[in-house]
Amino acid sequence: MWQYRELIRNLTVADLKNRYQNTSLGFFWSLLSPLLLAGVLYFVFRNLWGREQNFAINILVGVMAWQFFATGSSSSLRAIVGNSGLVTRVYIPRQILVLSNVLTSLINSLLAFIALLPIIFILLGHLPVTVLLFPLVHVLYFWFIYGLGLLLSALYVYFRDVDQIWQVLVRALFFGSPIMYPLSIVPPNLLPYYLLNPMTQLILIYRDVMVPGDLPSLYGVGIVAGFAIAAYLVGSFTFKKLERRFAEAI
Amino acid sequence: MSAIIVDNVSKIFRIPHEKKTTVFQNVVGLIKRQFSYEQFWALKDISFEVKKGEALGIIGRNGSGKSTLLKILARILYPDSGSVSLNGKVASFLQLGVGFQPELTARENLYIYASILGVGRKRVEKMYDDIFDFAELRRFENMKLKNFSSGMNMRLAFATAFHAVPDTLLIDEVFAVGDEAFKRKCHDRMTQFKAEGKTIVFVSHGLDAVKELCQRSMLLHEGRIVTMGDTEKVINDYLAMPRRGTKQ
Repeated sequence: MWQYRELIRNLTVADLKNRYQNTSLGFFWSLLSPLLLAGVLYFVFRNLWGREQNFAINILVGVMAWQFFATGSSSSLRAIVGNSGLVTRVYIPRQILVLSNVLTSLINSLLAFIALLPIIFILLGHLPVTVLLFPLVHVLYFWFIYGLGLLLSALYVYFRDVDQIWQVLVRALFFGSPIMYPLSIVPPNLLPYYLLNPMTQLILIYRDVMVPGDLPSLYGVGIVAGFAIAAYLVGSFTFKKLERRFAEAI
Repeated sequence: MSAIIVDNVSKIFRIPHEKKTTVFQNVVGLIKRQFSYEQFWALKDISFEVKKGEALGIIGRNGSGKSTLLKILARILYPDSGSVSLNGKVASFLQLGVGFQPELTARENLYIYASILGVGRKRVEKMYDDIFDFAELRRFENMKLKNFSSGMNMRLAFATAFHAVPDTLLIDEVFAVGDEAFKRKCHDRMTQFKAEGKTIVFVSHGLDAVKELCQRSMLLHEGRIVTMGDTEKVINDYLAMPRRGTKQ
C-alpha cells in the first residue's frame, strides 16, 4: 500500500473537493449538518430529558461520533461500484478506493470534532485533559469503519440490495444507541446486550473523555477494539475473495 | 530476458441466463434451483512469451479474445487457470483518461491520472510544462475538465500517459482521436518508446499500425492462438481467414 500513498492522497483530496463542489458553504457543511441534527434532537427531546446533566453537550458529542459511522459506512459502500472506470480499465489495488473514501470521511469527522472543542469549552467553562485520548479512540474507530467499508463495498458489487439493507440497519442502530436519550432509560435486564453495541460504547467513550473528563471503561474499549479487529479481518478476507471477479461483475 | 510469460492461460466467462443482482433474485433462484448459465471460453490454453524490448501485436476479429487477453495481462481480470508473470513496471492503456474528474481542473486531473499510472508527484512537476505543451493545452490548465471538449480531454490524457515511464506498455487501440498532426506526434512517441527498449503489447484492428510497430504478432481466433510469428506472415494469415458466415 505504501507505494501507492500518492494515489491514495490524490484520490482523497479529489473526493473532498468533489463532495463540496458547487456548494456555497463548502467545508462548513461537515460541521453544520451534525450541528443542525443535534439542534433538532435537542428541541424535540428537551422536555423529556432536558434536566439530565449536560444534556445538550451529550447530544452534540453523540451526533458527532455517530456521523463518522453513518457517512463513512454508507459512502464507502459505493467505493467500488461508483468507481467502475478505475476497476475495469486500469489496475490499482482495489482496497485503495475504499481506503481513500473512508479517509475522506475521517477528515470530515476530524474537522467537525475540532470545531466542537471551542463549543464544549464555552458550554462547560473548561476542557478536560482526557480530550488528548481522542486520537487513540479515533484510530480504532477508523479501522472499524474501514473494515466495514471493505465488506460492504465488496458485497455491493454482487448484491445491490446491500445498500437498502444497510440503510435500515444504520437507522435501527441510530435509535439503538444513546444519542438523544440517556443510558438510564434502557431497561436493566436489556442493558448487558445494549452495551455490546460498539456504537453505544464509542459514544460513551467520546463523552467520557470530552465532557466529564473520565477515563473510558476498559470494557468499552475492549468491545470497540474487538469489533474493529473483527470488522477488519472479515472485511479484508471477504474483499480478497470477491475482488477477483469485480471487473466482470460490475 | 522475458518481460511477459504467459503459461496456459484460460478464461471462462459465465453468462447467466437470467442475470441476478439483488439478494431477492438470488434467494428466488436458490429456491427454484436456477443456476443455469452458459459457459463461454474467452481464452483457451494461451501460452507465449514476450522478450524485453520487444513489441508484440495482437490481431483478430471482434470477439476473438484480444481485449480479454490484454485485461488479463493488465491484472484487471484473473485467469481461471494458468499463470501470468510480468517483470518490471507495467502501465496499461485500455482506455485513456481513466479516473478523470469533470469537476476538477486540468491541472488537478493531471496529477490524479499520473498517480493512477504510477508516476510520482516529483516527476510530474518536472515534466509539467512538457505535458501541457505536448497536449497544446497551456492556456487551459486551470479550466475545469467538464468544460473541455472531448478532443482536449483526450489530448490531456495522451500527453500524461506518454510521459509515464513504465517498462512495459499494454495498449488497446486508442489512437483514433485527435487531428492528423496530433496522431503523428503520438505515433512518433510510440516509436520512441520502442527505441528506448520498452516492451509493448499492442492490440489493434489497424493492420498498418501493427505492421509499423511490431516485428512479431499473434493472431487470435475464438480464444485460441492461430499463428504467432513474423507480423507480415501473421497478417497474411489473418487476411486469408474465411469470412464470417462461410464454413471453414
